[in-house]
Amino acid sequence: MNREDLDALRVPLIALAITLLAAVLVVYFSVIMLDESRKSRTQRETQLRDARLRIQNAGEEKERIVQYVGRYQQLAQAGFVGEEQRINWLDSLRIANQDAQIFGVEYDIGAQKPYTYASEFDPGKLVLQESLTHLKFRLLHEEDLLRFFRALARQGGGFFTLDQCQIRRQSGKDVTAVQFQANLAAECEVRWLTINPAPATEKKK
Amino acid sequence: MREKLLICVSAQQATAAHWRGGKIARLEEFAHDERGLGAFRDFLASYSNLPAFLMVDAVEEDYRLETLPHSWGSERAQMVTRKLKQHYRNTPFIGAWLQGREADKRRDDRYLFSALTNPDILADWLRLIGVQELPLAAVYLLPMVSVGLLEKLQVKSPNLLIAAQHSGGLRLTFFRDGQFRLSRLTRGDGSKAIDPVRLFAGEISNTRLYLHALRTATLDEHLTVLLLDRNDELQDVAAAIMHEHPALDCVRVGRAELATRLGMDQPLLASTPDALYLQLLGSKPPAGNIAPVSATVGYRRYRARRGIYVACAGVAATAMLWTGTNAWRAYGISSEATEIAQEISRQDAQYQQITRAFPPAPTNGENLKRAVEVAKAIRESSRDPIPMMALVSQALQSSPEIFLREFGWRYGMSVMDNKAGEAAAAAASPKSPPGAPPPQRVQSAYVSGEIRPFRGDYRAAIDSIHALASRLRQHPSVAEVRTTKMPLNVSPTAVLSGNTLESRAETRTAEFELVIVLKPKV
Repeated sequence: MNREDLDALRVPLIALAITLLAAVLVVYFSVIMLDESRKSRTQRETQLRDARLRIQNAGEEKERIVQYVGRYQQLAQAGFVGEEQRINWLDSLRIANQDAQIFGVEYDIGAQKPYTYASEFDPGKLVLQESLTHLKFRLLHEEDLLRFFRALARQGGGFFTLDQCQIRRQSGKDVTAVQFQANLAAECEVRWLTINPAPATEKKK
Repeated sequence: MREKLLICVSAQQATAAHWRGGKIARLEEFAHDERGLGAFRDFLASYSNLPAFLMVDAVEEDYRLETLPHSWGSERAQMVTRKLKQHYRNTPFIGAWLQGREADKRRDDRYLFSALTNPDILADWLRLIGVQELPLAAVYLLPMVSVGLLEKLQVKSPNLLIAAQHSGGLRLTFFRDGQFRLSRLTRGDGSKAIDPVRLFAGEISNTRLYLHALRTATLDEHLTVLLLDRNDELQDVAAAIMHEHPALDCVRVGRAELATRLGMDQPLLASTPDALYLQLLGSKPPAGNIAPVSATVGYRRYRARRGIYVACAGVAATAMLWTGTNAWRAYGISSEATEIAQEISRQDAQYQQITRAFPPAPTNGENLKRAVEVAKAIRESSRDPIPMMALVSQALQSSPEIFLREFGWRYGMSVMDNKAGEAAAAAASPKSPPGAPPPQRVQSAYVSGEIRPFRGDYRAAIDSIHALASRLRQHPSVAEVRTTKMPLNVSPTAVLSGNTLESRAETRTAEFELVIVLKPKV
């Protein structure tokens, strides 16, 4: 085939190239469309299985609700379930301070983040979160520290675990020296925990 | 090919036909004069981009049967070309066809060489075809086209002579064993002035003598004469031949049978002698194209163009079929998905119906259960410093000389082995190798104190501290007790300095630090 032949066949060859390109594109998009349809069907099939399973397990579901709803609501009142209520938490710190009769509490509450040890508890579709709370005290006696945390737990302003505490004797002070004067300085780190259903989790009324 | 132009050229005229849909749709004759050529130009002007197949019915034709040494490929092509040039120097319309091989030992190739020895016959007609830019597909000698008759008429005779009246004269074509051997066109216009019986009988006899002279067929051999009688006027001729030459088998094929066998209308067949051959040429182009390669360039490009467009159509059709299949399957799958979605809605509605009997709850039962169980597990796993404080306090009871200055406690993945808060960052973000289970959390404590009173008796002070550590180690929940600081560093690698005169005064301190680690799960 020489140059003149190619010139004579330019239009058909261009038409062939366009046809090939168009064919590839059309087939490609049709394959994508088919693939999407398959994915959609698979997803729906999974949803249907879940829906059927849910009906099959409706009896168990009812039993579970009856069995756990009371305790769940108690946990909600205790500030464990639901959104973090910082005002309640601060109120609880304040009231616990009063109850324990200590010389004030300095607090430093960190930003909420996923609970560090969540994997130990398998929360399923629930989201377990923590706010690291750093507390500083001045104490008359180490027993004050324990009374404070017992009072804080009683308040129900939040669900927490104790991570670490340091107690130091105040320099120049003697425990037997003067009454009603802080002899000890303490710092504690508390994990304030909340648990929430994931955003997509179904809620029933 | 659905549409093409078929043109039969003789010395006196040309007959052109438009072939469409498997039959001749239009047929016209043009005299070889100025008026006829003008009409032919007008005829061609009504068509564009149609291939033209030419056929020549002329006396100026030549056929030669020759044997050549058996060869292949380019060697064969070169040999044949050389032979054609030897035989036909003055015409480009030449061709050679391999008809078989000899039966002798050498098994030479048997070729039929043919040529149109007077190319000027075609010149005017080809020029007009070129002017109209119609692609010239092929040029055939008419006898080569008549090979198709054998198949159409289903003639099996080993020696067959076809005789027919043409516009240029009487054409006699001889076939042996179904293969073309030679053809003669006698000059004359077939007018009524010559008795057809004498004409046919005479020319058949002449042809037999010619065949005998060429050693193609002997006079003794049985010969079948096939009279193509498109006008049903050769009954007498057939009878006369049979009468005069009893050795001959004369078969006359009339108009009706010819029309039936060839699949054409009788009026069209009767209109011109060329119609029969144009029909054959349209039905199946024969072997024997004698057009030079340079003359058919346009046709090769035409075929290439058509081939590419056919490929385009094939690609498009395949793509459409594939896409259609995919779309159809996608539609089916989507329909199934829609049905499933409807079923999900029904199931949901049914579930909602069921849940109306459930006690009110803020979330589903699984979440309720998980939340309660997680809370319980966290409570059970949480620790406070009271047991550690009690442990240290109990160990100190028998050591009143030890004065406690600082106490630290941690429940985490790292041990509290230094002063307050230094390991807090590590505790907050425990790290473990990927895939490995996370390390267990343990309780640890840091105790800092001093010996009081201390008057320089390091031995007693260190003994007291060791005794304290020993008492702590004895507790079943303790995993490890480490002294991280002692009143005196007695290591040989450290520098030690002091003053023995000061040993009586209480001017020095004997400080120590301990790290206590409890066993996991305590």
